[in-house]
Amino acid sequence: MKRIYAVLKYLVLAVVLIWTIFPIYWMFSLAIRDNEEMMGMVSLLPHSFTLVHIQELFTEKGVGMAIINSLEVAAASLVIALLCGIPCAYIFSRKRIKYRMRTPMMGWVLLIRVLPPIAFAIPLYTMMNYLGLIGTKIPIILSHILLNMPFIIWFLISFFAGTPVDIEESARVDGAGNWIVFSKIILPLVAPGIAAVAILSFMTSWNEYLYGVIFVQDPQEFTIPLVLSTMNSEQELTQWGTVAAGGVMSLIPIIIFVIFAQDYLISGLSGGAVKE
Amino acid sequence: MKKEKQGFAYAMTLPAIVVLIALSVFPLGYTIKNSFTDYYLLAPDKAKWVGFSNYIQIVKDPFFRLTVKNTLLFTVVGVFFETTLGIVLAVFADSFKKGKKLLRILLMLPMLLPPVTVALVWQTMFSNNNGILNQILGFIGMTPVNWLQDVKTALPSILVIDIWQYTPLAFLLAYASIQTVSTEQYEAASLDGANGWKRFWYITLPNILSGVRMVVLLRVIDTFRLFDKVNILTKGGPANSTATITQYIYQYGTKNFQMGYASAASMIMTVIVVLMSAVYLKQSLKEMK
Amino acid sequence: MKKKKIAALTMCMTMAASMMIGCGSDSQSASTGNEAEETKTAETSGEEGTVTENPAKENKVASGETVKLTIAARGGSHVDVINAVKEKFEQENNVEIEVLGLEAADLKQKVALDAMNEEGTYDIVMIDDPVMPEFTENNVLLNLTAEGYEDDSDFLTASLALGKNPYGTGDTYALPFSGNVQLLFYNKDVLVELGKEVPESWAEVLEISQAAKDSGKNGYIIRGQQGNPIVSDYLPLLWAYGGDVFDENWNVTVDSTEAKEAMQMYLDLLETGANYEKNDMVSSISGGSSTMGLGWPSWFITDGSAAADYAVIPAKAETESESYASGEIGNWMMGIPANCQHKEIAIELLKYLTSEEVQRTAVDVGAVPTRNSVFADAEILAKYPYLETLQAGTENSVVRPRTAKWSAIEEAYGAELSNIVAGTKNIEQGLADAKTAIEGIMSQN
Repeated sequence: MKRIYAVLKYLVLAVVLIWTIFPIYWMFSLAIRDNEEMMGMVSLLPHSFTLVHIQELFTEKGVGMAIINSLEVAAASLVIALLCGIPCAYIFSRKRIKYRMRTPMMGWVLLIRVLPPIAFAIPLYTMMNYLGLIGTKIPIILSHILLNMPFIIWFLISFFAGTPVDIEESARVDGAGNWIVFSKIILPLVAPGIAAVAILSFMTSWNEYLYGVIFVQDPQEFTIPLVLSTMNSEQELTQWGTVAAGGVMSLIPIIIFVIFAQDYLISGLSGGAVKE
Repeated sequence: MKKEKQGFAYAMTLPAIVVLIALSVFPLGYTIKNSFTDYYLLAPDKAKWVGFSNYIQIVKDPFFRLTVKNTLLFTVVGVFFETTLGIVLAVFADSFKKGKKLLRILLMLPMLLPPVTVALVWQTMFSNNNGILNQILGFIGMTPVNWLQDVKTALPSILVIDIWQYTPLAFLLAYASIQTVSTEQYEAASLDGANGWKRFWYITLPNILSGVRMVVLLRVIDTFRLFDKVNILTKGGPANSTATITQYIYQYGTKNFQMGYASAASMIMTVIVVLMSAVYLKQSLKEMK
Repeated sequence: MKKKKIAALTMCMTMAASMMIGCGSDSQSASTGNEAEETKTAETSGEEGTVTENPAKENKVASGETVKLTIAARGGSHVDVINAVKEKFEQENNVEIEVLGLEAADLKQKVALDAMNEEGTYDIVMIDDPVMPEFTENNVLLNLTAEGYEDDSDFLTASLALGKNPYGTGDTYALPFSGNVQLLFYNKDVLVELGKEVPESWAEVLEISQAAKDSGKNGYIIRGQQGNPIVSDYLPLLWAYGGDVFDENWNVTVDSTEAKEAMQMYLDLLETGANYEKNDMVSSISGGSSTMGLGWPSWFITDGSAAADYAVIPAKAETESESYASGEIGNWMMGIPANCQHKEIAIELLKYLTSEEVQRTAVDVGAVPTRNSVFADAEILAKYPYLETLQAGTENSVVRPRTAKWSAIEEAYGAELSNIVAGTKNIEQGLADAKTAIEGIMSQN
């Protein structure tokens, strides 16, 4: 009985993995096939192996530069959004801390998350243009903060709300101030939440296109999604190999970030309070 | 004492509030103002106040109503499957003793990919000329399907892609929530003789409920904006069967420069989503300690 | 415990470092780049801004600093062309050229957004030809004729006409950078197998496609995706049957008898083949599993040895019928924004980028020439024999209706055509609805 159960379990695992991984396998396999192979019937296993597509990305499409640009934008916006968002989420989550603006502010933050970027892009452009910021990286970083901070706040409210209040109270009785309670006691408890929200925000920023295309004015400043989108056009045939290779190159840095976030961010922030 | 507390609260929230207000008040006000004008991007000086006529025209437009219907369909079906599958996967992945870390990263991969690449890779798979899906169908003796150009299959096909890409998000959050459930609770339950299903229903689920609600909220907001996949794969067709609200806004705003009209459509969309997420806001406020 | 703390510390440091990199390059890009920004600050610093502005600029040129010219182009092969030829101009004129490659809809939006500024960021912009009326009517582009530009008779007349406002007769606002006209794309081997000649009427197209279907292949391929694809794919049939979107008085005629016949033919053709997206269409026809369809020549560059080839789109319904011009022309134009900061040098660059010399180079990267001299070049023709067809096709081409509302019309029309092809509406109803929708768009403002 136990054995059947185990076999069944691994069977399910196989189905799950095929479903999740197959399209990604497909992307990798397209990235290494030569162009001729992709004109006819595209078979399950590649018949050719080439690195020209990846090479082309770096020599002609400027993907190397774009990765650096994307990293800068994603990291800068993430750090600012986290630094501002985490304390704010903590206050929002504690009804016992008196804060008159709580309900309207929470509503406002949620509203910002809900507003469609497609409507916001041009007004933001108008504003940044008026301030003379177009042509710098500031607008794109700020717009990513605008995307991610409401998300970070709302996401972490539920994590903060889940932490036990009695620990906080006993620390207060011992004479710890508000800041100490927050930074030394509560923060480590929500480390997994921060790691998760960091991953998701980084991901949003990494793949963000709409604000990017409105604000970037110089090919040297292109982010990854901008480079990728110029490969898709109604007027020209799609170079599947290059598109797929672009996807691969975009995926690698973000996987590294995820691994980093899971291993170091959680243990680093929690100081061992949470066992992963 | 109390005064000091509120000072702390203001200090903690100040940076976030300042940044958000600075970045959102003007764009929001500007969008609302434009929605009452006939602002055309290339002739801003000629913009006139038109009152509610944009709103009236949009609400009357059968195409807009169709996009609302399609968007709601995408959202309800998509979010339902993403959330359910995500929870099931999280429980399933948690039941393994070894290799959890690797499994977790593998299951997360789809959502890390850029939307353009996702759409194009799936396009090659869905192709009715040389796509791998039709090849497999042919292999098992079924007739090929024109996945993205048939009114019956286009919307489900795009749904499948969206579910594939965002089930991992639900999975990630559900999995994180499961980690917070203490082992004592499970041990107590097994002493009471609770089986797997009962343990899930009475212990796991209540404990991850707030995480799940968060997933639903996030996915509802984002699926409502579904656009990239549609724009690349079907352009809203065939016969408007996959047209979404964002696509409507894109058509009028980005493509035809009718900023006034597009702003009004954006505001209507915002109101719909706000109404849907207000439930969440209320619930969250109630649960706070 | 200690280890964890060190890990946390390193993490914070890497984050701080990455932020500093971010800030560093911010200031860099701000200082190297934007001239417009600098002049803006100069302007705001004093009331007499306009006075200080010009000397500042002259100083720059005088001190030997290179001027940076920015081209907003459609991403893909056009960018490759410009990058391949820009160096010569850069050296001769002591300028630096940046090419911003964007997806078509984004390009249009960015050009429009920048047009609102006093001082433009772009020196040259690319424009899809149907967008021309929208841009010229709203003064986005510089009037080249007014700046002393004289028309070059070497350009194909049909292409040059696209850059004029009013169309064909007015002043020149843009020059044709890349020519393109829809052609009939077919597989030579399949035609030989079937013992057929290249068709000259749509009745023959149907007959061949039917024969191909009977022999187990795909006959005719339609590009029936909603929006621009289906409209571009159907219009040549409409025109060949003598129909059009508007009559000469701008009455909507999409539901005329000719239009219905053309639509019936379109559906009959679909019966013999399939409804593919562009990539599939090209790969299946060039691979020989499908027989023919309409396409843009830049999609597939035949060097003569390939199995696929182009022909001019049939211009008549049946062998006996009257002939009409039928291929949709789709050029990419280049113009100078009205708010361009370096008008004189930009005009020179524009002339250079549309010159014979550049077009010769560009042919190799898939660009389509717009000059008679390049089409007539024996060497180039020997290498790319299909260019002869292309020139003939351009002479037999039709321009999409010259109205600033074309993109809105295309959307509405495309949706109804898609309804008919998908079978959710019959021909009668679909075309009637298209008429209503287009009339609605035309009546606005």
